[in-house]
Amino acid sequence: MSVVPGAGPARRGWLTDLRRIMVFTGKRLIALVLTVLVGVYLTILIANMGGQVDDLRLIQIRSNVSEQVRADPTFFDLPSEERQDIIERRVQMEVERRSLDQPFFVRSIDYLQGAMLLDLGRAEEMHSDRGARDVYWIIVERLPATLLLFGTANLLVFFVSVWAALWLSRRYGSGTDRAVIALAPSSAAPGWFYGIFLILFFAFVIPVLPAGGMVDIPPPESSWEYGLSVMRHMILPVVAMFLSSIFISIYSWRTFFLIHSSEDYVEMARAKGLPSALIERRYILRPTLSPIITSFALMLIGLWSGAIILEQVFNWPGLGTLLFQAIGHRDTPVIIGSVVIFAYLLALTVFLLDILYAILDPRVRVGIEGDNR
Amino acid sequence: MAQKTLLSVEGLELQYQTRRGVARAVDGVSFDILANEALVVLGESGCGKSSLAKALLRVLPRNVHRFSGKVMLGDTDIMALSEEAFRRDVQWTRIAMVMQAAMNALNPVVRVGEQVAEPLRVHMGWSRARAMERVARTFEQVGVSTDFLQRYPFELSGGMRQRVVLAMALVTEPELVILDEPTSALDVLTQAGIMNVLKRIKQEQGTSFMLITHDVATSSEIADRVALMYAGQVVEVADAQDFFHAPAHPYSQMLMASVPRLRQREEPAHIPGQPPDLIDLPSGCRFADRCPSRFGRCAEDPEPIRLARRHHVRCWLHAGRSGGGGA
Repeated sequence: MSVVPGAGPARRGWLTDLRRIMVFTGKRLIALVLTVLVGVYLTILIANMGGQVDDLRLIQIRSNVSEQVRADPTFFDLPSEERQDIIERRVQMEVERRSLDQPFFVRSIDYLQGAMLLDLGRAEEMHSDRGARDVYWIIVERLPATLLLFGTANLLVFFVSVWAALWLSRRYGSGTDRAVIALAPSSAAPGWFYGIFLILFFAFVIPVLPAGGMVDIPPPESSWEYGLSVMRHMILPVVAMFLSSIFISIYSWRTFFLIHSSEDYVEMARAKGLPSALIERRYILRPTLSPIITSFALMLIGLWSGAIILEQVFNWPGLGTLLFQAIGHRDTPVIIGSVVIFAYLLALTVFLLDILYAILDPRVRVGIEGDNR
Repeated sequence: MAQKTLLSVEGLELQYQTRRGVARAVDGVSFDILANEALVVLGESGCGKSSLAKALLRVLPRNVHRFSGKVMLGDTDIMALSEEAFRRDVQWTRIAMVMQAAMNALNPVVRVGEQVAEPLRVHMGWSRARAMERVARTFEQVGVSTDFLQRYPFELSGGMRQRVVLAMALVTEPELVILDEPTSALDVLTQAGIMNVLKRIKQEQGTSFMLITHDVATSSEIADRVALMYAGQVVEVADAQDFFHAPAHPYSQMLMASVPRLRQREEPAHIPGQPPDLIDLPSGCRFADRCPSRFGRCAEDPEPIRLARRHHVRCWLHAGRSGGGGA
C-alpha cells in the first residue's frame, strides 16, 4: 500500500525544536512585560484618582506643617507674617521632598519606573511590624501568613476535589454523585460566612479552638510549640474555606472528567481492555493535563484575592488585612505595591504555564510556529 | 468446506434503560462465524448493529438494562466469564475491534506507535522493544510507513489514522476482528485501499472478520456471509452469494433493489416508511408496516425459519417451505 507523502511534517531535530521554543518564549515574555506595564500604570492612575489625590496631600501637608509651627514654642514670639513665611518654606521643602511640585504625569512615569523595578517607595502612613516604612518590606512581611493559610486551604481543596471527582465520574448517577450535586449550591456562601458560624460554635459554644489570630499570645518560646500553635489557629479558617468551595469544585471537576471520559479514544481504551487505572492516567488525565494545571496555577496566585474579609473575620495578619488597612488610610503606595506584586506573580505564572503547555501537549509544541494542517 | 465454528451467538439480548423506557437494541440475535470467514452485518442506522458489536466486546454504556444470551468463542463461553477474566483473556487478545469514528479513536497526546503497542505490553507483557518490532510489522501490513511510529495522531491524515486504528486491532493477531463502519468517513480510494488490506490479512492470517456497515456495495467485496438486521433482530442470514443474488426476506429484496448498479435500466428503488422505534416496538413482524407482501399472519411474531444450510429468514412467507429440520 502506498504511503501518503506529506501527511505530516518531516521529523524535526531537537535543535529546531529548541529554537522555536526560544523564539516563542521571547515573544511571550515581551507581551507579558507590556501587560504588566499597562496594568501597573492603570493602577497608579486609579489609586491617585488621576492626580486628584495630590491636592488632598497638599492640603494635608499644609495643615500638618502649620500645626507643627504653631505648636512649636520657639516660634511663639515671631510676628505672624514671619511665622507664615516659615510655614510656606517648610511646606515648600516637604513638597519638593515628595516631588509634588512636578506635574502628575511626570511623577506617574517616575513611579511606574520604580514599580517595574520593584522599588515601591515608602508608605505614607503605614509601617511594617518591625517599623520599616518601605512598601516592599511591609508587603513581604505579610506575604508568608497569607500564603500559608490560603495555600494550605486551596491545595487541600484542589487535590481532594480532583481525586473525588475522578472517583465520582466512575459512579455517574449514584447516590454519592447526586448528593454532591445537591450540595454544590452550598458554595454560594463565601468562606467567611462559614467562618463566623465555625468561630461561634468551636470557639465559644464548645471552646476547643482559638477564635482568631495566628499564634497564642504571648507566642510560645520553642519553635516546635510555635508551629503547633499556628496550626491550631489555622484549623478554623482552613475548614471554613474548604467547606465553602469543596462541593462546587468536586462538581465542576466531575463534570469535566465525565465529558472527557466519553471521548472516543477513552472508549477505545476500554474496548482494548486496559486496566482502569491506566485508562484514568493515560487517557483521561494526560490529555486534560493542560486545563487542570491552568486551573491549579491560577488558583495558587488567585489565593489572596478573596482574602480581605476572611482575614478580617479570623483576625489573620496577612495581605488581606494589610490591603484593608491601606485602603482605610488612603495609603496609595501600599495599594499600588500590592497590585504590582500581584501583577508580577500573575505574569510569571502565565509565562510558566505557556512553557508547561508546550512541554505537556504535543499539539501546542508543533503549533508554536506555523502549523501543518 | 468443513471449517471450525469460531463464534456462535445464540439469543443475544442487549437493552438500554432510557428516560422514555427500555430500548431493545439487540433482541434475540443468533448467528455464527466460522474460522477465516467474513460476516457482513448490514442494516439501517439505529437498527442495533453497533450495539451488537459492543455487546460482543462488552463495551457497554452505563445504562444497560439487560444483557443476556449465549456467546461461544471457540470452546469458551464468554458470557460466563467475569469482567476481569473477560478483560484479561478475551478483550483484544482474541476479539479486537475497529470502532466507529476511528478519527478520534486515538489518544491525541500519545505517539501512535506507543498506542498500537499498548495491548501487547498490557495483555501479553511484552517488552517495549519486542512490541515495537511487532507494531512496525503490522504498520507495514496495513500500509503505514514505519516513519509514523513516532508521530502524534494529529500529524496523520484521516486515512492514515484509520489504518493505524486497524493496525491496533490486528497487532495482537486476534481470531476475530469486529469492524464497525470502518470506511464510512473516508473517500472512495482510501475505502478501497482499506478493503484490500482486510482481504489480504484474511487470506494471509486466517483471521475472521465481522464487518458492520450500511454500505452494500463495499461490503460485497469481502463478504462470505451476510446478516441483515432490522429493528434489533437479524431478519436474514445467508451466504453472500445467496443473499446478494436471491434474497429471501422482503426487506432484503427491497434493500438489494435499492442498490444502484452499472448497466441497469430502471431507477434504484427506495424503501418507503421509517423503521420502528426500539423503545415502542410493534407486536408481530417488525417490518410489516413497510412490507408490500404483508398478509394476515404478519400480526404474529415470526420465528427464524431455516431455508437451507446456514440460511435463515424471519418471515412467514417462507413458513412451510423450509428445507428440512435441524440447524
